[in-house]
Amino acid sequence: MSRVRVPTPLRAYVAGQSEVEVGSASVAEALQELVERYPALRPQLFGEAGELRPYINLFVNDQDVRSLRGEQTPLTDGDRLMILPSIAGGAMPPGLRGVDHNALRANQGSIIASLLAAFVLDAPGLAAGVGATMLLGTLAGKIGFLPVYWVLRRLRLAAPDILPDNPEPHRFSQGLGAVVLMGGAAAFVAGAPGLGWGLVWLVIALASLNLFGGFCAGCAVYYWFNRLGLPGFSQAPPPGAFPGRRPQPPVA
Amino acid sequence: MTLHISEVHLRAIEAHAESHYPEEGAGLILGDEADERREAREILPLPNRREAGERGHRYEIDPLETLAAEDQADALGLKIIGVFHSHPDHPAAPSQTDLHFAVPWYSYLITSVRSGRAHESRVWRLDVSESGMQEEELEVRSGSERLSGDSESPVASGGNSAQQEGP
Repeated sequence: MSRVRVPTPLRAYVAGQSEVEVGSASVAEALQELVERYPALRPQLFGEAGELRPYINLFVNDQDVRSLRGEQTPLTDGDRLMILPSIAGGAMPPGLRGVDHNALRANQGSIIASLLAAFVLDAPGLAAGVGATMLLGTLAGKIGFLPVYWVLRRLRLAAPDILPDNPEPHRFSQGLGAVVLMGGAAAFVAGAPGLGWGLVWLVIALASLNLFGGFCAGCAVYYWFNRLGLPGFSQAPPPGAFPGRRPQPPVA
Repeated sequence: MTLHISEVHLRAIEAHAESHYPEEGAGLILGDEADERREAREILPLPNRREAGERGHRYEIDPLETLAAEDQADALGLKIIGVFHSHPDHPAAPSQTDLHFAVPWYSYLITSVRSGRAHESRVWRLDVSESGMQEEELEVRSGSERLSGDSESPVASGGNSAQQEGP
């Protein structure tokens, strides 16, 4: 005989017992024996299609059956089959992650300030440096001007503003800005400073729209590519959010 | 259903939530239940076993920790009546993820932590249709009627008497 350990939430369905003895030779058979003996337990353990409910973990002695032979794991005399509730959850809706929008704002502010300085000082090299920083950040999967944010955090001038969002579109947007600035650098080299400054001002305008207007044009392009099913653009906009708009903070 | 909890226990849950900020902290609530009343007797802070980058918005308790907690509850003549966890910079209301993983019957106490400070704690339970979570009453008992300064070794005296500190 083996014993099945029943967790507190399910004990009401097995006459209040914490353990039930079964004569079955496998995990699957033991569960069947249990629900045949206690029919009210069936909907608690299994979904409508007969699949195990998502919050049920099964252990034989202290081993997860998923690391053994699943529900076909044999039971021998004296084994204990543990039905354990899966205790999990968390603040963020499934699929989304926490994106620190103040880190993004620090990045946009740094880009705008550096590019304005480049224009005022007539220093195309500085604009190209901004583009290179953004490009390196994108390739590293990070925000280009992250160190600026670290300094602001250290000086307690900024605090995290974590919103449920996808980080990928923001990374893509930064990469797009970097490519535009690289194009501007090429224009300077080719002797077309008018075009070069035009592209710099395009990046200033779009970064400002993001910083002050809460609209990320690069993210909107990303989500547009996602809708077209382009490979590599796997994230859809957060539910309820207009593609490219900053997600709404959760209300307290 | 009302969850009764001492100020000392609630404060301990909130301190645990604050100490884990900006990550989510979690644990189990041991207690007993009679009629429409649940009484928290012990709280059991447990590690959040999600990977480091995910702990800011997800929690998960090792099933073997849950098993050990059940054994401990049985030894004390108590039950695991619920789960507590924190929502850093999010409201003390269940998310879609909380709903997805909610186990029927348990009380889920959620503490909202804003900028490192516990802001609010509310209790929820999966409704019968399992399509949503209903808020339950949280009644906080003031003072430290039961703990008498010894929070580490509760044991023995507890038993099943739900009314032991009643008037």
